[in-house]
Amino acid sequence: SPVFVVLVCLAFCSRLSSMKAASICTNGQTGCHFISLANLFDRVIQHSARMHGISNDLHSEFELYFLPSKNQIGRVSHNCHTSTILTPNGKENAQRIAREELTEVILKLLVAWRDPLWHFHQDMAQHHEFNNFSSNKSLEMSDMVHELRKGVQKVVEKMQMLGIISPSIGNLGTPEALLASDSAEWRLMNDYDLLYCFRRDSNKIQHYLKILKCRIVPEHGC
Amino acid sequence: TLEPHFTDCISRDLETFRCWWSPGSLHNLSTLGALKVFYLKKDSPSSEWKECPEYIHENRECFFDSNHTSVWITYCVQLRGQNITYFNEDDCFTVENIVRPDPPVSLNWTVLKISPSGLSYDVLVNWEPPPSADVGVGWMRIEYEIQYRERNATNWKALEKQPHTKQTIYGLQIGKEYEVHIRSRMQAFVKFGEFSDSIFIEVTEIPNKHGLVPFTLVVIFGIVGVLIVILLIVISWQQRLMMILLPPVPVPKIKGIDSEMLKKGKLGELNFLLNGGVLDGLQPYAKELYHEESWVEFIEMDKENEEGGDKVDNCNSDTQKLLGLPHRNIDGLRAISHPDDDSGQANCYDTDLPEHDTQMLIASMLPGQPENHQASLDAPASETGERPLIQTQIEGPQTWVNTDLYAQVSNVMPSGGVVLSPGQQPKIQENTTGSEREAQKGGKKSEDCEDNEGIEDWKKSEPQFQLLVVVPEGSGSTTKNNAQQTSTPPNSPVPGPGYQTIQPQPMETKPAAMTDGSQPTYILPESPQSQLFTPVADYTVVQELDMHHSLLLNPPPSHSPSMCQPQHPLKAPMPVGYITPDLLGNLVP
Repeated sequence: SPVFVVLVCLAFCSRLSSMKAASICTNGQTGCHFISLANLFDRVIQHSARMHGISNDLHSEFELYFLPSKNQIGRVSHNCHTSTILTPNGKENAQRIAREELTEVILKLLVAWRDPLWHFHQDMAQHHEFNNFSSNKSLEMSDMVHELRKGVQKVVEKMQMLGIISPSIGNLGTPEALLASDSAEWRLMNDYDLLYCFRRDSNKIQHYLKILKCRIVPEHGC
Repeated sequence: TLEPHFTDCISRDLETFRCWWSPGSLHNLSTLGALKVFYLKKDSPSSEWKECPEYIHENRECFFDSNHTSVWITYCVQLRGQNITYFNEDDCFTVENIVRPDPPVSLNWTVLKISPSGLSYDVLVNWEPPPSADVGVGWMRIEYEIQYRERNATNWKALEKQPHTKQTIYGLQIGKEYEVHIRSRMQAFVKFGEFSDSIFIEVTEIPNKHGLVPFTLVVIFGIVGVLIVILLIVISWQQRLMMILLPPVPVPKIKGIDSEMLKKGKLGELNFLLNGGVLDGLQPYAKELYHEESWVEFIEMDKENEEGGDKVDNCNSDTQKLLGLPHRNIDGLRAISHPDDDSGQANCYDTDLPEHDTQMLIASMLPGQPENHQASLDAPASETGERPLIQTQIEGPQTWVNTDLYAQVSNVMPSGGVVLSPGQQPKIQENTTGSEREAQKGGKKSEDCEDNEGIEDWKKSEPQFQLLVVVPEGSGSTTKNNAQQTSTPPNSPVPGPGYQTIQPQPMETKPAAMTDGSQPTYILPESPQSQLFTPVADYTVVQELDMHHSLLLNPPPSHSPSMCQPQHPLKAPMPVGYITPDLLGNLVP
């Protein structure tokens, strides 16, 4: 057993050493924590999956107050404010378009949902007919959209740094982009439609990120 | 009535989907081709209904291939007859919501671990994702649910859903067969796909391992048991070893004398102690010596020469007195009185002692003893707390010199010396035997010293210990034990001071009146009064048994002339038999 302990130590120490060696960051930043691109992708993908899960839960809860539809469509046709954003509707389409386009779509979607979700949470907190569980989920959803957008932007920066994609995108976080997204379309949606639309869009984001990762760094778990 | 409707629309891979319909029970539209499927794809406001791109009439199925499938877009399907359109709004959907992935393939299992008891084991099940779902590209994220059950059970047990392609089932039992199947669904969605084909898991007993475990257990427990037995043996032998190596040596404990002192050769102090010198200076020393040995038999150091032994009885003389002759029965007594144990009792009659050794006298009576006697005497009915001490006469012409054979230890000196009361010094020897003698004596001695005053004084003193041995006249069945029983005569007419003169005649009725039913041996008192005034010893010497099996005791010494005086030395509150040193001088004749 001391031999076993020594072996474990060696394995662990080698891991540590590798991590230490990899902690040399680019751009001369001191004290930065090195994360590989694949690792970054995994993180944002997990984040988007969780976001979609929460939106799914909230939508299901909302359906209890309305008539539960068979395929979760609902009787009212939905007009999502993100319908104007052209998104690939299938696997082949998502694989065919350029990486930059795909990345841009993701960012657009994330930006578009920041304000509506925030207001939705405010409405939920005021209306006490929804329990605290839903209220907490709406807050979490709103935060996650914000976090995910920042995460995806970091991924984009890294990709641009690595030269994977061209630096033409990335200006969506600028105030101009924010102003453009501040349209009043989303205010026309009711809560149920909003949840339905966000549920759909979060699913899109999740799939797109996965496709993007396997297109850029396919060797890690694709 | 049931009109034609869609039964289900399902997508397996998020790239294509199918819809099935049923004609219903309406009319004879079951003929193939009568119904048509139209769909609407709401990807633009100006979308139109289109017919099914691919029919599979055998299954009444409409198949949408990847070109016609768009995710996240609402589809609506409807059935159209010749003039009728059957449409339900529930038949609108988005493709991602109707996904039911195919079950995983290539199920396999391996045994992870068998429990030490050999009763249960863990199994790792692994599989491949469904080939139709494009997981590699990341298009679909699937999570799996394993369910298992025993072969003949009805209920399945489900494990937690998880996205990996392997999972461990814990706690399966050896010898039982288990059935396992898996189904999959898209993450964060609701609809599961179908179950995979079942696989069967079974692990039979492994006799080798089964035999190893109890064998090792037996060995371990055996070793532990042997160790415990060895420990016990060592512990028990340890005591024996102590006994063998350090046996308890009987050390003669001499009161007042320390063996260390003897070693040092301090003869001066030794003599001092032997003389029983009462000096305050020696008191603490002596007290320390026998502080813890209060109940040890005190051995009095005696001198070889009988000198100055006023307070110390001479062993030789006592022995001779007891036996009547100086050295006649020494041997006999030696045999009698020589104790077998060597626990400190020195043989008083050992004439082989070297000259420098001193002879010792055993003083067995301790001051506290008479009280015990009194307690035992309380049992028989006694009307008074005082009982006349009755002693029998001595049979046999024996002259006694000063001291008695027995001496009661009346006090223990602080210096270590023992004060013996020389009390009973029988000077009157009479040869009469039997109760007649006793009666005569009783009558004779009753005249002596009937001093009520003295009696009262004596009565005022502390409760006396009195030994009464009464012999009934003509009673044949007496035993030695009865002689030892003491009781006051139950005659009620007791004189005031509680002193009784026992008459022989009433004695005959006494045995019947005795409550204990026995017929004790009554010995008439000789002269209870006079005896009371004498420093009667609490015990007396048994002379012998007479023909009536009564104990004949030594008569008490008669100090009648001196005892009748009003200034009775015993007027001082003191129990009979206890003599203080200052009074001792008065008593010694």
